[in-house]
Amino acid sequence: MNTDELQKFINECKLDGNKICVEKNLHETLDFLLNNYSFDMLKSITCIDLSNGQFELIYNLYSTENEEDAVISIKITHEAESIADLFESAKADENEIYDMFGIKFIGNENLKRLYMPEDWDGYPLRKDYIQDDTRLAWNDNNSNNA
Amino acid sequence: MTITATTLKLNLGPQHPSTHGVLRLILELDGEKILSCEPDVGYLHRGMEKMAENMTYIQYLPTVDRIDYLAGCFYSELLCRTVEKALGIELSLRVKAIRVALLELNRISSHLLWIGAFLMDLGAVSPFFYTMRERELILRYFEKLTGQRMMYNYFIFGGVRKDIEHIDDIEEIIKILPEKLDDYEKIITNNPIFLSRTKGKGIIEPHIAINNAITGVNLRASGVNYDVRSNDYLYKNFEFSPVVINEKDAWARYKARILEIKESIKLIKQALEILKKEQSLNQNLINPLTIKLPDGEYYHEIEAPRGMASIYIKSTGLDKPYRLKWRTGSYYSVNFLRSLLVGEYLNDAIAIFGSLDVILPEVDK
Amino acid sequence: MNYLYHLYIEFLSKYGISELFGNITFYIIPFCIVAIALLIVVLVLVLAERKLLGWLTQRKGPNRVGFWGLLQTIADAFKLLIKENITPVKADKFLYNLAPILVFIPVMTIVGIIPYSSEFTFVDTSTNVILYLILAAFPVLSIFMAGWASNNKYSLIGSARAIAQILSYEVPMAFVVLSVIVLAGSMNLKEIILSQSLTHGALDWFCIPCILGFVIMFICTLAELNRCPFDLPEAESELICGYNTEYSGMRFALFYLSEYALLFVSSIFLSIMFLGGYLSPFGFYISHLIFGDTLFANILIYFEQVFWLISKASIIIFLIIWIRATLPRLASFDLLKFSWAYLLPISIFNLLLVVIFKFTTGGTTCFLS
Repeated sequence: MNTDELQKFINECKLDGNKICVEKNLHETLDFLLNNYSFDMLKSITCIDLSNGQFELIYNLYSTENEEDAVISIKITHEAESIADLFESAKADENEIYDMFGIKFIGNENLKRLYMPEDWDGYPLRKDYIQDDTRLAWNDNNSNNA
Repeated sequence: MTITATTLKLNLGPQHPSTHGVLRLILELDGEKILSCEPDVGYLHRGMEKMAENMTYIQYLPTVDRIDYLAGCFYSELLCRTVEKALGIELSLRVKAIRVALLELNRISSHLLWIGAFLMDLGAVSPFFYTMRERELILRYFEKLTGQRMMYNYFIFGGVRKDIEHIDDIEEIIKILPEKLDDYEKIITNNPIFLSRTKGKGIIEPHIAINNAITGVNLRASGVNYDVRSNDYLYKNFEFSPVVINEKDAWARYKARILEIKESIKLIKQALEILKKEQSLNQNLINPLTIKLPDGEYYHEIEAPRGMASIYIKSTGLDKPYRLKWRTGSYYSVNFLRSLLVGEYLNDAIAIFGSLDVILPEVDK
Repeated sequence: MNYLYHLYIEFLSKYGISELFGNITFYIIPFCIVAIALLIVVLVLVLAERKLLGWLTQRKGPNRVGFWGLLQTIADAFKLLIKENITPVKADKFLYNLAPILVFIPVMTIVGIIPYSSEFTFVDTSTNVILYLILAAFPVLSIFMAGWASNNKYSLIGSARAIAQILSYEVPMAFVVLSVIVLAGSMNLKEIILSQSLTHGALDWFCIPCILGFVIMFICTLAELNRCPFDLPEAESELICGYNTEYSGMRFALFYLSEYALLFVSSIFLSIMFLGGYLSPFGFYISHLIFGDTLFANILIYFEQVFWLISKASIIIFLIIWIRATLPRLASFDLLKFSWAYLLPISIFNLLLVVIFKFTTGGTTCFLS
């Protein structure tokens, strides 16, 4: 898409409060905002498990030049476009989201377990995460073993 | 990067005096030159975000101080403010002044500890004890007021737990501090060895810092004027100018913190004036047991000592948050080490890492 | 020493003990005494350093064990003695065990060549100074052994740093020693002291014509001792403990003790070279002033000389500790650059100055005469 089309695409996006909800073209949208509106800082990426198999990713952008905030949101299922090539800091956020929600970011090669052990099953911040790992202290199996 | 037989893989931490057992940096060294750096975090992971989903807001409030044990006030403030915002509670001027005074005192104590620890990383022993001595005054005051030295749990939804006391202690602290700061500057700032260790070391260009989401003092030391306090609701009645330095190196980050302490002292002075004028507390306290945030999303950010910290709460109208997310400054600083340390020498690496002021419970959450 | 020696032989012959026995024992007994005294000095030094650092950083220092914390270092040494000696599995066991033993030998040997007073030197060779230079650089060998044999990366980096440091700081040090040799016209420590003993007391000391050299030598001594700001080989915040990371128990104590013993002998050496050694700073001895030219005064002088030597060394030790409390650590490249780019040219310039001074004053070392 060229610049005008992107502008049009963004203008047509649904607004939820101050949140711009895009449905696709996340990478292009952020690229556009970075280059045309100088939203150069990605403050954070927040991931929410919507309990219906969908996840919502919220991108908090900030422009140090114009001192403005922008919030972009996208709904995805298990896979998302990586924006690590636009924002270095996205690597960190995407890695954390991968660790906690198991979302694969296409284009980010460095996804690995961050807080959880390398051999941990499941993704703790998902709503359907069952805390039955034998390594957890409050688990029954564990107390029997002890 | 191909690993050849001549490079040395060095585990900096977790059992290492300057990583306190909570961070592991996997360094690849050629002699003492760093070829690559891979931070390994998670040694302090307590599942703060998962915990929030199973707790009511008042249950969760005491735990948030632990996110950054050196600056606990900031995270209480974040959570309290977000809940207040959601419930539409306005704070009285006196409560605001109390919060500002305590936040800034906490910021000073955090920066003081950093100055000591940073100099300790550089091999100077004494400044650590000097800064601890002044920090002790602040901690004593907090202990007097809240009963706790580090995890204050003093802010509550709609106000503070009790009215501020012992204001003359704060006056005493802010009277002593400027003299002591001059003392530190005498033995540190123009010390030729200190200058050779920090000047021109670990230069962070502004655009790189922004791209890596480095915030707080580290960003302002690179010449970017971004301070959340400028448009924070708490600081509306206060005169305040962000500390911006253009040197970009480790020395600038040190200097910026010294100047920031001075700026904080000014803010505390203003807060004390307000406290003297406004004698009535006027709290809009709500019953914390019945807090239910309306359906929706709430976001708030604050200028913590280690960068911008923010909270995001999604509520579905229940007494527990549906999702709660913390954004902390240190996490991005640690991830930035990957590119920042490459090409530096091992003993500069410690200085540069120290200058970023990283605290690991904040990284691991 | 002759005077005391004759007294000792006479004392023995009174009881019919042969002169041969006296010959052998006379040199062994004081050496043992000094060796034990050195250990006590080290214990005192460790306490002194901790107390001083405490005061300089507004703390009390050790004050629990014994009166005023006097027994603290003894308690620490005892604790180290009863701790387990751990040898890493992959360490080179022979070198790993040898290193802490070897580290003490050169220090003890230096003790033997130092003139403590005009009659109190064990080994009095004509080239004591050179011997000292060699022996003082010797501990780096065991540092390297320890670093290599530990099979620990931090130790290895630490010992590599130690070697680079010693190599670069020995050179300016040698030039300074050379300038002192030029001034004194001798390589014997005692003669170096005596050539500073003109009649003007402290004004005759070599630290006045050779002030540059004194400063350089002081800096080089800091570097050779791995003391702050040159404590890179054991930089805590970077290398945990440097070359002795893996050592525990008595082996660690040996490294620790030798470090402080070397601190002591180096400061004694510094005071011999530049501060007139055992000479009184007034040009006359206090014992002479009080007791006149009596036998008692003549014996008392030996103790007074030891007192002067120790006090001069103490001042230097105090300076070293003070520096530790004040300065941050140098970066390793600045450290090497500092030696090769600044100290070495200045030390050569200093040698030139000293030679000119020596010729213009016609062979005497004092500018007053």
